[in-house]
Amino acid sequence: MATALNYDPSSSASLLEEVMTRSGQPLTACYQCRRCAAGCAVGEETSPVTPDRLIRLLMLGEKEAALSNDLVWKCVSCYTCGTRCPNNIQTGRITETLKKISKETQKAPHQPKVGYFHDSFVKSGLRWGRVNEMEFMGMYELKHLRDKFLEKDFDGIKQEIMEQMQFALSMLKRKRMHFDFLKSIGRNEIKRLYKKFKKDQS
Amino acid sequence: MEIAYYPGCSLKQSSNLYDSQTREVLSRLGISIKEIDDWNCCGATSAGKIDDFLAIAMPARNIGIAEQKGFTEMVIPCSACYSRTLVAQKKLADDPDLNTRINDGLFRKVKGNIKVSSILEVLARIPKKNFKQKMTKKFKQLNAVCYYGCMLTRFPIDVDVPDDIENPQSMENILKLIGVHALDWNYKTACCGASAAMNDPDTALMLMHKIIEDALERGAECFVVTCPMCQMNLDVHQDKVCEKYRINQRLPVYFLTELIGLALGMDIQDLQIDRHFIQMADA
Repeated sequence: MATALNYDPSSSASLLEEVMTRSGQPLTACYQCRRCAAGCAVGEETSPVTPDRLIRLLMLGEKEAALSNDLVWKCVSCYTCGTRCPNNIQTGRITETLKKISKETQKAPHQPKVGYFHDSFVKSGLRWGRVNEMEFMGMYELKHLRDKFLEKDFDGIKQEIMEQMQFALSMLKRKRMHFDFLKSIGRNEIKRLYKKFKKDQS
Repeated sequence: MEIAYYPGCSLKQSSNLYDSQTREVLSRLGISIKEIDDWNCCGATSAGKIDDFLAIAMPARNIGIAEQKGFTEMVIPCSACYSRTLVAQKKLADDPDLNTRINDGLFRKVKGNIKVSSILEVLARIPKKNFKQKMTKKFKQLNAVCYYGCMLTRFPIDVDVPDDIENPQSMENILKLIGVHALDWNYKTACCGASAAMNDPDTALMLMHKIIEDALERGAECFVVTCPMCQMNLDVHQDKVCEKYRINQRLPVYFLTELIGLALGMDIQDLQIDRHFIQMADA
């Protein structure tokens, strides 16, 4: 981590501006009162990074540290920090934005499972117009198990499959598993809209 | 007047008991709802972490469908769907460029004046006398804690919140009508971890153990929720949480519609409470 002594304002400007624009949050308004840190639901799990410190990392242009820390990846988007911020900075939006930037930089995410989960969920919702729980959980598990396979963590694979089987059985027992397939005809409308947006962006 | 109804994916799958309870309870209380046609997934909390455009475009289409049918209000029982739809509506009102871009591609345009309501808002405004007329029994000794979770009072952007943000009361007020004693406690708007229960279980179990411990210390006999994600997490993973944190007792996690349904004379099978993981008898 850089110290104040070798701080170069020009190197921080682009990242800071990008996060401010994309998240819509006025990061420069932060005066480090730490109300966000005091209320953070996952604060005890993400030490040493708290929402205010994440803002400070972005101001210092510490891209690597800002993208790969437990706060960005363990944040549950409960929005307590932003609701209590006297300057109306929704730090929850910052962690969400950093997750996206991390994905775009093709960097391996700090917590891959979190990325796989949200990715599988949105893809399922987009593909069929409605999320199918079993399909998206299957996609998510496959992505996660593929990593374990590449790491040759065969015990981990076995354990994950056992745990998920147990979970599925307990859901089945209470008729909480659903076998019909959900879809919406309007999915093509959203796909077209998204395609056009992507094209205009590039 | 008839209200548009957006159930969302979860109410058509693992929490489909909540869909049927919602329909039955609202109908018994004199509120008529109609599921909108061909609705799509709202993107839930995942879309905001993957793509900001989709996070607005997905719920926008549903708003357009309801508005085109002439509805002036849409009720959404799932907290995630409710939050995402309300946020999309506000964002489209505040950002004319985004509004034009999305509306250009939508078959049914978003006008933006439909009221997006949580089920709590709809239940909370039903006059007392309607409850009194329809109730066949009143609870006598049930102590409950109302668990609102994150998404009924905290939003990623500024929207009008119909209850107190840190200490909401509408669920307590409804429970009072049916004779349930709602306890004061500290974790009513805390986070259960939501999808972290799947992708980061240590964090989710840590969050849930605090919620369960405070509820037990206050003398609660059950949780009351309106969010299917909170219900699923606290119910399905409760054994795991309690084993890890050495908690001996268990607490059933009821949907608000279940307690109201019981007071309106429905039974456990009608309401499908027998599909919960934690039953009153285990607690």
